[in-house]
Amino acid sequence: MTMNRDEQAMASSDGRLLCPRCGGRMNLHAEKVDRGADPASADADLDGVLAEFHTCPACKYVLERVALP
Amino acid sequence: MRSDSPLFIPVILGTPRQGRYSEHVARFVTAEVARFPGVETEIVDVRDLSLPVSGAGEDIKDPAFSELCMRADAFVIVAPEYNHGYPGLLKHVLDTNLKEYIHKAVGICGVSAGGFGGTRVIQNMLPVLRELGLVTIFWDGNFSGVQKLFSPDGALLDASYPRRIEKFLKELIWMAKVLRHGRENVPLER
Repeated sequence: MTMNRDEQAMASSDGRLLCPRCGGRMNLHAEKVDRGADPASADADLDGVLAEFHTCPACKYVLERVALP
Repeated sequence: MRSDSPLFIPVILGTPRQGRYSEHVARFVTAEVARFPGVETEIVDVRDLSLPVSGAGEDIKDPAFSELCMRADAFVIVAPEYNHGYPGLLKHVLDTNLKEYIHKAVGICGVSAGGFGGTRVIQNMLPVLRELGLVTIFWDGNFSGVQKLFSPDGALLDASYPRRIEKFLKELIWMAKVLRHGRENVPLER
């Protein structure tokens, strides 16, 4: 697994990310811990880096980024 | 919202071997998927993906395959049983994506020469698919005695299979619809 991505996206006024492909409002629907990621950036409680996944209903793009604390 | 747009359910043919009977299975299943209104499909042949074997995981993504997976709402995996396990290339291919799979449905069609219809390869695949974020269903396709199941030109010789696969696909489509609604509309509690 290769996570620890840092895809960039603007946020809408209600906090939802805006799709970098089409501008649609994305939905955060999943998180996953990457235990193989750089230990220096790992969350001590989770024993890895937490990534979050956002899907765009308009174009189906999925954005992955490190979860914000 | 996309919820009224067609579902896209590709069928992954999971072995590159010469003389593979699984190709007949994949073509049959793809034709059955295509019979459902509002569902689009195509075969993905692992033989056609040119992935290096010296790399691994998302570092060696095939952009076209990743885009197809992103577009997909569910997957059918046609997996022959080789020494009770799955083909190594199928695992290599599946491992090249992650975010493209999360909260999408998957159904497995096991293929075997013996009488258990690939049950053991299906069981071995379940934990892999779960770790990839896919959601498995509780129907499988079981193709036993595959060397006798199709004519040399790929015509199905057992009339019981269309109904069995119809049940399998109805469950997969239901799960695909539910998960698409969830991905698009149901936020994770924070």
